[in-house]
Amino acid sequence: MEKKGAKRSRIIELLEEHGGMRPGVAREVARETGVPEADIFGVASFYTLLARPGAHTRVCQGLTCMMAGAGRRMEELRESGVEVEPVSCLGQCDRAPAALDDKLELVAGPRGAISPVSDDQAMKLGAEDDASYSALARAVEQGPERVIAELKAGGLQGRGGAGFPAHFKWDAVRNQAETTRYVVVNADEAEPGNFKDRELMLRRPHLMIEGMAIAAFATGAKTAFIYVRGEFKGCRRSLERALEAAKPHLDRLIGGLEVRIVEGHGAYICGEETALLEAIEGRRGMPRLKPPYPTESGLWGKPTLINNVETLACVPAIVDRGGEWFRALGRTEPGSKLYCISGHVNKPGVYELPLGVTLDELVEEAGGYLGTPRAFSPGGASSGFLPMSQRELPLDFGALAKAGSMMGSAGLVVLNDTINMAEAARWQQIFFEDESCGQCAPCRIGARVQRQAVDRWIDGKSRVGLAHVNEVAWEMNEGSICGLGMVASLPLQSAMKYFEEDFT
Amino acid sequence: MNTKIETAETKLELEIDGEQVEVRPGATVLEAARELGVEIPVLCHDDRVDPAGCCRMCLVEIEGQRRLQPACTFKASPGMEVKTKTERVARHRRGLLSLYKADHRLDERGRPVSRGVHDKLADHIDTYGTGPELPPVNAPRASRSDENPYIQFDPDACVVCGLCVRYCDEVEAVSAITLFGRGASTTIGTADQRSLLDTSCELCGGCIAVCPTGAMTEKPSLDQPSEQIVRTTCNFCGVGCQLDLHVATVAAPKGPSQTVSQDLGAERSEVVGPQARVSETMKRVVRVTSPEPGTTVNDGNLCVKGRFSYEFIHHEERLTEPLIRGEDGELHPASWADAIARVAEGLHGVKQRYGADALGFVSSSRCTGEENYLMQKLSRAAFGTNNCHQCAAT
Ligand SMILES: Cc1cc2nc3c(=O)[nH]c(=O)nc-3n(C[C@H](O)[C@H](O)[C@H](O)COP(=O)(O)O)c2cc1C
Ligand code: SF4
Ligand code: SF4
Ligand code: SF4
Ligand code: FES
Repeated sequence: MEKKGAKRSRIIELLEEHGGMRPGVAREVARETGVPEADIFGVASFYTLLARPGAHTRVCQGLTCMMAGAGRRMEELRESGVEVEPVSCLGQCDRAPAALDDKLELVAGPRGAISPVSDDQAMKLGAEDDASYSALARAVEQGPERVIAELKAGGLQGRGGAGFPAHFKWDAVRNQAETTRYVVVNADEAEPGNFKDRELMLRRPHLMIEGMAIAAFATGAKTAFIYVRGEFKGCRRSLERALEAAKPHLDRLIGGLEVRIVEGHGAYICGEETALLEAIEGRRGMPRLKPPYPTESGLWGKPTLINNVETLACVPAIVDRGGEWFRALGRTEPGSKLYCISGHVNKPGVYELPLGVTLDELVEEAGGYLGTPRAFSPGGASSGFLPMSQRELPLDFGALAKAGSMMGSAGLVVLNDTINMAEAARWQQIFFEDESCGQCAPCRIGARVQRQAVDRWIDGKSRVGLAHVNEVAWEMNEGSICGLGMVASLPLQSAMKYFEEDFT
Repeated sequence: MNTKIETAETKLELEIDGEQVEVRPGATVLEAARELGVEIPVLCHDDRVDPAGCCRMCLVEIEGQRRLQPACTFKASPGMEVKTKTERVARHRRGLLSLYKADHRLDERGRPVSRGVHDKLADHIDTYGTGPELPPVNAPRASRSDENPYIQFDPDACVVCGLCVRYCDEVEAVSAITLFGRGASTTIGTADQRSLLDTSCELCGGCIAVCPTGAMTEKPSLDQPSEQIVRTTCNFCGVGCQLDLHVATVAAPKGPSQTVSQDLGAERSEVVGPQARVSETMKRVVRVTSPEPGTTVNDGNLCVKGRFSYEFIHHEERLTEPLIRGEDGELHPASWADAIARVAEGLHGVKQRYGADALGFVSSSRCTGEENYLMQKLSRAAFGTNNCHQCAAT
């Protein structure tokens, strides 16, 4: 059992410092923190970057990178004597095929594109970052209620995937009886196909920090955490620099804000908000049961506001120009949205467009299709695949959900007719099998069953597994604890549904 | 955990499968169901530890909840309507059990392997059935060789319910084991995957007691059926833990050390000592467990001695009759009357020559309370000295 006063939240950084899951390290960290040794070892074994530490090359095996020849790249590297580890999507799909070198720094192609700045954008990736903190000043003038009212008027939906109205959560935290509250920024961006938060943190870190500070002000939080994907070394540096510059403004305007950057260590599931809280607390990143929701009982049991990077980055513009203005930026749903696009298009990148544009409009921004498009994945691995016949769908939360898919965080991937959809589904199923936290059986076992079903088909032309895909998917959806398991069959199911010819 | 609170104002009423039930505030749906006698299957639940809601076996429908919810964690509330017998719940149970089965070590009949006592997974499959017939998933779990004498762990018979880990932490406060790995490879491990002997483990065997499938099991009891259970009190210390001795007929050891005693037949049904080695088979204690949690003072728990130290019962060096050392310096079998007379003679001799306080009486914590009482009475009343002690009395 944990000793009283044990420094649990330090164990992950200490594990990293001492070299990850190597013999003797858990004992040393136990000595330094008072957390039981076995517990620490179990934590180390959960996180890819701790369980498989070491200076080797990590090559992305995500969908876009595999389409761009990551498989070949791994072979070439191995042949030249380099130690290679295939890893889950690195969030660099615009620069596919991507890899990290032995210091976890990015090795990839030329930087992806962004949309040109225009006035009908809330975030303006291409503009110079604004470190004046004038929106925060304005928020302080207006007071929390007015700020939250503007969010509501603006109709801001969470950009992390679920599309939950932001003002509800802000209000819920603000109205808790408990006065110790936290704000947590979800910067763990790891859904395959997504890299918008990365671009925001690299190009406009102040926008996000200002949004975070407004959130802390509005909810009465004195401490904020930014949970950044461990593979995003550049983002961390960018945030640290910006935080330094932001400090005097925060001190001046809201009497200071303690901000802590916590790094991820290679676990997609830590993007799920409660798994993320577990990770900050120094545990295996296994999602909690909900209810209770974090707004009521979050970090260390205290009310906690968790928002995605992009959600917060929309806030300064809403405060500055009003909710109505923001709402009007959208077409079918409120606001402008960062769409990531990769795969078979000419200029992969991040494009800020009215919420609800169609695929064709987005691809036009991205320089057009490469080859003849056959399928697209509208919102990451979790959204499955759609056929081109659905290209007219507005890319928004409601319409995509209705189509049995989801917008997620708008990481679109276009697949042209050179791609076998069974193969594409397999890449996504591998992702889910690798990234399941393993806590609950429907997902832990089901994700492997689905992967093996598509394996048996591709490798042995056997249909035995395919026959059960839908029933297993039903159980995963009903029985899983969190969203990962609920949607983890979608790539295979949707590929089988819309691209039958690749399964006969 | 399961107690119903009597005062009317603290009760709340809910409905399960159309029947009303009253429970105390804070009770879970599972507790309420038990109150009604409604069976909800569980794997990861044990009253001794905090519920985790991770095995998903106990999911039920709750009015107003979009998703199925775990009965083991979901709190009952006034007017709540719970349904446990819908087709949705039944289909979920079958689908989940199919997955567990595909991930489990099966016996030659295609059933989850049995370790003799805890067969919850097999039982649930018998009761609720399975859905799709899935091929084995062969999950890539790490296994660990462990030379400890008592506890065996079989990763392929484990449903990763985490009860063993939570028990070790929350009840034993030892934290010797942990969930290890991630995803399909998640299993139970120790720090640096060392033997339990090189960890904080106290070999209490509680992880075995809570394990729903026998993945954690008593090494000495592997493949031993239990034919009969004999309740007794552990006499290793003064706590008074209740033990259930599992008795089974086993092949009798052969060899020169066999002794034959006339009055103990091979067919005798109670637990017998080494002198019973007369025929091919004999009854032996093959496993010790605790009675169900909540029913006895030890609440389902035991320590290493109570659970594992029973070999002495049948040990061939065990004394089964009095021995007196003769003039030749060797020990010779004697009758109880002769032996007691010899002891009395010796003790009186000391008392006469040096006084009563030259004597000291030490009894064993292996004796019963009554025997210990008699020992001090012998010391004080019969010999007149307060020099008496018991090895566990410190
Ligand atoms: C498996 C899974 C992974 C997720 N990954 C992320 C992520 O990388 N970034 C993110 O912001 N939200 C992610 N989410 C959503 C979060 O749980 C949460 O809804 C979000 O951070 C809330 O912020 P928002 O309301 O601003 O969208 C994920 C959810 C699930 C189920
Ligand atoms: S659904 Fe998957 S990722 Fe989510 S808690 Fe269960 S095992 Fe973990
Ligand atoms: S025997 Fe007891 S102390 Fe050892 S691992 Fe099992 S529960 Fe923990
Ligand atoms: S060993 Fe038993 S108690 Fe432990 S996780 Fe496995 S099935 Fe559960
Ligand atoms: S008993 Fe409720 S989830 Fe396991």
